[in-house]
Amino acid sequence: MNTASSTAPLLELRGISKQFPGVKALDDVSFAVYPGEVHMLVGENGAGKSSLMKVLCGAYTADEGQFFYKGEKVVIGSPADARAFGIAVIFQEFSLVPYLSIAQNIFLGREFPGRFPGTIDHTKMHREAKKILALLGLDIPTRTLVHDLGVAQQQMVEIAKALSQNARILVMDEPTAALSDRETERLFAMIRQLQSDGVAIVYISHRMAEVFAMGDRITVLRDGKKVGSLLPGEATPDELVRLMVGRSVDRSYARNFCKTAGELLLEVKGLRSAMGVNGVDLTVRSGEIVGLSGLVGAGRTEVARAIFGADRVTGGEVLLYSKPHQGGPDKAVAAGMALIPESRKAEGLALIRSVCDNLVLPGLPLAFPNRIYKATKARQIANALIERLRISTPSALRPVRLLSGGNQQKVVIGKWLGSESRLFIIDEPTRGIDVGAKAEIFALIDQLVQQGAGVLMISSELSEIVQVCDRTYVMRDGRIAGHLSREQLSEENILKLGVQHE
Amino acid sequence: MNDSTIALNSPSALWAGLSRVPGVAWILGFLVIGFAFATGDFLSGPNLLNIGLQSVILLMLALPMTLIIMTEGVDISMGALLTLASVVLAWVLAHDGSLMLALAASLAIGLVFGLANGMLVAWLKMPPFVVTLGTMGMAEGLALLFTDGQSIVVANDTLAAVYGGSLLGIPQTLLIGAIAYVFTHWLLYHTRFGTYIFALGGNPDALSLAGIRTNAYLIAVYAFGGLMTGLAALILTSRMSSGHPTAAIGMEFDAIAAVVVGGTSFEHGNGWLFGTLLGVLAVGALRNGLNLLTVPSSVQVSCIGLLVIVALLIDGFKGKK
Amino acid sequence: MKSTLRIAALAAELKTIGYRLAAALAICVVLTFLSDAFLTTNNLMNVLRQASLLFLLASGLTLVILTAGLDLSVGANIGLSACIAASIMKLTGSALLGAACGVGIGLTIGLANGLLVALMRMPPFIATYGMLWVVHGITYWFMAGTTLYGFPPAFRALGSGYFLGVPIPVYLMFVFLTLGAFFSQRTTYGQEIYAIGANREAARLSGVPIVKRLILVYAVSGAMAGLASLVFLARMNSAEGDIGEAFTLPAIAAALIGGTSLFGGIGTVSGTLVGALILTLVLNGMNLLTIDASWQPLVTGVIVLLAVFFDTLTRRGEEARK
Repeated sequence: MNTASSTAPLLELRGISKQFPGVKALDDVSFAVYPGEVHMLVGENGAGKSSLMKVLCGAYTADEGQFFYKGEKVVIGSPADARAFGIAVIFQEFSLVPYLSIAQNIFLGREFPGRFPGTIDHTKMHREAKKILALLGLDIPTRTLVHDLGVAQQQMVEIAKALSQNARILVMDEPTAALSDRETERLFAMIRQLQSDGVAIVYISHRMAEVFAMGDRITVLRDGKKVGSLLPGEATPDELVRLMVGRSVDRSYARNFCKTAGELLLEVKGLRSAMGVNGVDLTVRSGEIVGLSGLVGAGRTEVARAIFGADRVTGGEVLLYSKPHQGGPDKAVAAGMALIPESRKAEGLALIRSVCDNLVLPGLPLAFPNRIYKATKARQIANALIERLRISTPSALRPVRLLSGGNQQKVVIGKWLGSESRLFIIDEPTRGIDVGAKAEIFALIDQLVQQGAGVLMISSELSEIVQVCDRTYVMRDGRIAGHLSREQLSEENILKLGVQHE
Repeated sequence: MNDSTIALNSPSALWAGLSRVPGVAWILGFLVIGFAFATGDFLSGPNLLNIGLQSVILLMLALPMTLIIMTEGVDISMGALLTLASVVLAWVLAHDGSLMLALAASLAIGLVFGLANGMLVAWLKMPPFVVTLGTMGMAEGLALLFTDGQSIVVANDTLAAVYGGSLLGIPQTLLIGAIAYVFTHWLLYHTRFGTYIFALGGNPDALSLAGIRTNAYLIAVYAFGGLMTGLAALILTSRMSSGHPTAAIGMEFDAIAAVVVGGTSFEHGNGWLFGTLLGVLAVGALRNGLNLLTVPSSVQVSCIGLLVIVALLIDGFKGKK
Repeated sequence: MKSTLRIAALAAELKTIGYRLAAALAICVVLTFLSDAFLTTNNLMNVLRQASLLFLLASGLTLVILTAGLDLSVGANIGLSACIAASIMKLTGSALLGAACGVGIGLTIGLANGLLVALMRMPPFIATYGMLWVVHGITYWFMAGTTLYGFPPAFRALGSGYFLGVPIPVYLMFVFLTLGAFFSQRTTYGQEIYAIGANREAARLSGVPIVKRLILVYAVSGAMAGLASLVFLARMNSAEGDIGEAFTLPAIAAALIGGTSLFGGIGTVSGTLVGALILTLVLNGMNLLTIDASWQPLVTGVIVLLAVFFDTLTRRGEEARK
């Protein structure tokens, strides 16, 4: 399918630059897509992929650079311009409206005019929507509200929306992030069909397997610059990662695995929650890192939140340090539990507050038992943590929002070191941070268990689970589908347990 | 036939069936039954008509309020604006203006305030409740300045005929209310504008990515609120035959209550226009029933507050099940 | 090390309220030129007295706004608290009992707000806005159009008395400034309140007992309204149903002018004091220039809009930089 060199590019970007206050998001990037190819766009977080995508779809206007459509110079200055050239984008964060129907969402902004000005031809809209869904092999009534759909179905509606625009260039940002294996397969089949119809696809992905399986060409971005453009056969995954990171990295996180686990810290029996945890048993002992694996949507985060009391528990028992435990997060923290949540910005940090304020928050009752707060003492505590975790910030008083992702994550973990917690539940510790910071985070977690803590770690990156955990539970449909000891631990075994259907 | 009987025999299915009935229907039902027992006249024809007539002004505020709340906004200047528009309308009539001119002035006032609210919310991205709190203070102040605190009495037959008259045996006021409801329904469910209202609350980014000028539509929603308020001022002034500087102060609370009781949520553009109609009737029935029981108007407001809490409790309870 | 940190903290505090103080001074200078009556002891004491009443009300409200909430019921709260306090005083002749009931009613209303916001998870402005009308209704029903007047002199001193030539409410203002600043800056409760305002979910997952803290904050706001109602009652020496209605907007204005952000997590009680001072100066100036009092709500409305406008601009500026 490597027809790239034989035909002219459908769309070509030359010398695109985009400046934001303080950052050069894109620096002289050139980029071309050819009809019928899947063009993989890879790079670390912050490398400029999203910026490039937004320039492509007209959401950002480039400061410098030119666009050529089928060899002719054109201007893309707004989403409307981009649509006129057949560019459609599927964003990672869905662009769907919850209380509109599937059909209304597919044609949002492009409604079929009805008899009177301003009205909508509902009949035609639902008929057309049905056709498009059929194309995708979807059999859902087009009047269903998007609010009532699951994540995977929403993703499909998103794709239907792009298809309905007769897209010649389809941009996808990590489209498989929320999909099950089966849905991923269906998506790939559809991509191949679109390819054969001559549609050009720009595909952003973090998953090496996808990049090599689906890509006809790979463009690598780093720090806003294009650092390479290659064919899948020209590089190994390791070489690609090296290009992305700009230095050779050791992708394994060596640690001394736990030989003899210590006392029982956490025991969960038959846990059920309002959010779909369906009878979960697990244990965490002192000195071990226990993985909680499974596909996205299997209920891993929900288990963490139920144990922590962040979601309503509807059944079962949690024993913390061998004592029965129940109640909300405040009770959990008081009892010595720590949760490092999935979303740093939404759940982990008070972004407008200082590094110091964030670091001392969970430990306040411990550091100031008589409730009198002393700023000097708080700053001493914070400075000690900043030093210990090597958080790079000019001062403890700097607002957290000005820190990099990796340093923010260190703050999220660090704030629990000032509390009395010995049980850490860590949800996606390395999401959105670069490879260098990842190694540091894992070293930190390792240090915690060396000192007698127990860690329950959730991760979507199977390689992380395999490399870091002493043992792991694998979840499926809100239950524990299986348990793998250190010896049994492999990506293959996790997947087997995670996707199995009786 | 068998399916449904079997389903209703099992308690969980019965519960599922009952829980599909919206909370506002329960509330309306209980209110009607309660007042029917508590007072002799509640269910009489004239009284029911009375409830309808009294509810029309509230409906005309609650309809646009539903759309505004669906955009994750709110307009608490409506009561003060209604008052101001009514005062202006009465003033024009008292100075020998025609009814048309007076109505035009009232609509213009409404439009100006609605546009101002919308522009502050849309362009400057200011929180709607504070914006409208500010414009509420301004409208209240203007109404007082305009009248020196006195009523403007209007003896005008054409004006009186608006509220009192009937067409083909149907009271004109009810017709106006019905037209307002049908129009708003059409606007919300059958036009692009309506679709974009759902999107403004549910996912405004999706709307702007679709190339729609979101701000224009957001401003239009508030402007629609202003216009409806200006129109409602005609009925209010006609009913009272005067413009009074505190006539409708606080009426936006009844409107918000009706919308919330009717099941529209403050989040994600989850709105239901027919629910608002039921909510307006519930608030109207409550006020009327309490009137029959000679409960003072001030206490009625407290009861509406309780009604909102009950409605939220019912919906919350259903949500948990 | 310690002392430099303290100085740094003090400097930061001064920086945030510094230019607001400068603005207050500038208004004073302008008014001195515009009106001979401005720079008289009598008028200045009057301004201070009015500002202190406004501050008492707005200080509790500031804590609420710090949690990204709002209390629209403070004005109505003043009305009911004042009327109940007045009638108890009339009934029993005891100023102390009346005062206790006034604060108690304020506290109760605040608790009710807290329960609606924290437990029922209603949007704060809707919950407290509903409370406004509920309380308002109760007040009108309770007073039934009557006016109560003539209270014990000992009680009246609370509003109109002087000590060393300075009105008593001004002392109250400084007492509660100290208490408020201490509570918000020097207790862990204060830290948690700021954290809730900055990111409620993050605070919850960090073990901050959200429900308890929110109820506390609304209760404090209610109790402060109750206290303010006593000062107002003592000053007016009469109570009727619509007392206090005109206070909500100025109280919000004072907090916002003082630099408290409606989006939560930013602001200080001392800033609110300066805000109350600025607003009072503006209204006093309008009085001295014999501008019709009906203009006051209008001007206050515009000031609120301006304050929110600048707050929003700052917020957007910060988000753009990130």
